[in-house]
Amino acid sequence: MFWLACCMYIVVTISWKNYPTSPFFDEYLNTSQGFRTHTKKIGKYLGSLSPNDLHEINNATESAIKSMGISFRIYSEEYIEGQDRSWPLDFIPRIIRKKEWDKVEKGLEQRVKVLNLFIEDCYNEQKFLKESDMDESLITDSPAFKEYCMGMKLKHNSWSSICGSDLIKDQDGMFYVLEDNLRVPSGVSYMLENRTVMKRVFPDLFQHYGVMPVGAYPTKLYETLVSLSYSRSRQPEIVLLTPGIYNSAYYEHSYLAQQMGIDLVQGTDLVVLKDNFVYKKTIMGLVRVDVIYRRIDDDFLDPSRGNKDSVLGVEGLIESWRKKHVSIINAPGCGIADDKAVYSFVPEMIRFYLKEEPIIENLKTYLMSEKESFELIKDRFKDYVIKPVAESGGYGIVIGKSASKKEKEETLKLISRDPRNYIAQPLALLSTTPTFDKGSIEPRHLDLRPFILTGEKSYVTVGGLTRVALKKGSTVVNSSQGGGSKDTWIVDK
Amino acid sequence: MLSRDAEHLYWLSRYVERVENTARLINVNSELMLDFPGDKTLGWQSIVETLDNLDLYQRRYMTFKEANVINFLCYEEANPNSIKNSLIKAAYNVKETRDYLPQSATEQVNNLFNEFIRFSSKATRGQSKDMYKLIEGSQRFFGIINDNFSTGLVFEFIRLGRYIERVDMISRTLDTLCVSKKNSQTHDFSTLEWASMLRNLSAQGAFREEAKGEIERGNVLRFLFKNKGFPRSLNTCLREIDKCVAVLPNNRLLKEEVYKVIEKIMSSRVESYDDEKLHAFLDGLQGNISNLDQRIHKSWFHLHA
Repeated sequence: MFWLACCMYIVVTISWKNYPTSPFFDEYLNTSQGFRTHTKKIGKYLGSLSPNDLHEINNATESAIKSMGISFRIYSEEYIEGQDRSWPLDFIPRIIRKKEWDKVEKGLEQRVKVLNLFIEDCYNEQKFLKESDMDESLITDSPAFKEYCMGMKLKHNSWSSICGSDLIKDQDGMFYVLEDNLRVPSGVSYMLENRTVMKRVFPDLFQHYGVMPVGAYPTKLYETLVSLSYSRSRQPEIVLLTPGIYNSAYYEHSYLAQQMGIDLVQGTDLVVLKDNFVYKKTIMGLVRVDVIYRRIDDDFLDPSRGNKDSVLGVEGLIESWRKKHVSIINAPGCGIADDKAVYSFVPEMIRFYLKEEPIIENLKTYLMSEKESFELIKDRFKDYVIKPVAESGGYGIVIGKSASKKEKEETLKLISRDPRNYIAQPLALLSTTPTFDKGSIEPRHLDLRPFILTGEKSYVTVGGLTRVALKKGSTVVNSSQGGGSKDTWIVDK
Repeated sequence: MLSRDAEHLYWLSRYVERVENTARLINVNSELMLDFPGDKTLGWQSIVETLDNLDLYQRRYMTFKEANVINFLCYEEANPNSIKNSLIKAAYNVKETRDYLPQSATEQVNNLFNEFIRFSSKATRGQSKDMYKLIEGSQRFFGIINDNFSTGLVFEFIRLGRYIERVDMISRTLDTLCVSKKNSQTHDFSTLEWASMLRNLSAQGAFREEAKGEIERGNVLRFLFKNKGFPRSLNTCLREIDKCVAVLPNNRLLKEEVYKVIEKIMSSRVESYDDEKLHAFLDGLQGNISNLDQRIHKSWFHLHA
């Protein structure tokens, strides 16, 4: 009797019939509204839930995030204690088949290996610059190019030891690289925390799916840092250098330091003595530091070698690094390869350094410094996205399709004034995945940021951080601009 | 442990304890003044004086009316030791040290701050029930700390900060009486005042049980200076400080200094001091405490200069 009564109450459930899929590639449903093989189980499960159930799950997710204190901050906001924003997580996972992922993983390893070779080459023989079509000034005029790196060769050839590459799936269902973040990429803590939250909220789902675990990252990161130390000690002294509590990624800095059991230091906690070694100030006295996992930008690392007014860095740090008394991870100067104009040469670099074909493709990219390309964009502005080469976080991007006439003219003017500073890419039709929105499930666009570690060994995160544009039709996934995130499942079936 | 983290823990603890002590002082004085038939401003003036804020106060207020003094002690932004400023600084220090603390302790400090902001915007400010909330809130914070740690550097630096702050405040509170006597020539309310002193330090029960004597000057002073065990006697606080120092590195000089202060208190005859002598003794003690604080900074926070 009781069972019957329950059944009578649950009448309204989620319907997949009205879920629009075209013109984009949806990762759950194919164009004839059928589930893909690896999403069938979860699709059916979600289909059995009522809007009320969805609300409940959503509330449980939100309160788990709140009680775990997972937060982030937006830069322009005035600092108010206790006003950090809760991390936005959509509880419907993004699912990728392991077979597909294995290929992506290889592609990323290949790519980052080459980028590291390229950086070291730029600061030494400059073979690629001499033998390719790349305009030398693209490197030597770049603000990321650091003269003091010239002649430096690093252990395991690791300049960008922690790289975060942004991938998207286009209409054809294939992964493409959108950009490589080689300097101080962030987001990995959210990848880890998303999984922790999902396990709390959806324990039963995990039992039905063979979801690959993601939790090895802090250990792998620690091993990578150890392998990059110049000290002979098997337990080198490692610290994480943060700009401090006002930084938007401070949550992540403290999370990672805690997970690895290393000190979270600020510039004022470190000092370089006359012997050119770096020391941290502890209650026991000065303790020598072997490896610095820095989360501050190059120009703030050392006031004698960059921003003179910087209080974030440490005087003499660069000299200590040049003498190989300390490892700085990621290495100073690695930003030269993290430029959207350099990006367009990566496939060529792969052929040049490895004599291999790229496993993951780039998006077609037009340099605005090339005249024909600029003419093309002028004519067909609507079909392209214009990006400043050195910005990150989605700032400064103009989407041709949605720009007003005035915006278009302004953008073209900006480009003609400084063409080197802009690239254009065809508007990618980002794939979608079902996402919870006010009681129903709707397709939303997403991208993926995996993290690639390079030390004695290399390691790619299992999946990565999936970012999702929560607004209907939007393709802006940055959390600073209204984006959310999803747990990323690599499933072995 | 990084020196900076240790320093943040120490000051976090001092500010939370300071909030509690200031709230106690206000509360007891409010109650005491209700029993005081004459001019109440003298009683309030003495509090401002003990907190070393007389100049600052007189630049902003004409009289020592209760409302003014409470405003000054609780909400005045120009007063670095106002409850509001102490809470702001506690919240800042807790943010810097949250990786070391149980989450509930961090939340407790933030809640305390948020609640204070809420009641400070009401018309009836500085009511005793609000002061009790602050006292409770502070005690809850230390309760969480004591429940989560029994040893370790985090625990020791928090304990160290708390007891340094407490010794400082007890000696100032004792000094209130000397100063208020000096100011008031018309009434002798000594029993009332000594009772209020005990109440301020939550010492009534312990005093009755352990000292067993009449509530009069000599007994109360002996109890508050020399009792071994009551957590708000100077002797106990200094012994707690000694325990913290003992497990920290590079502690030789500090250990000696703490011991000297304990000895100074135990060998004194405070019971029989008159106001003037007591005031001078407390003045010296304040100097000793400030030296301890400086030595703490030199030993662990700023040893790299």
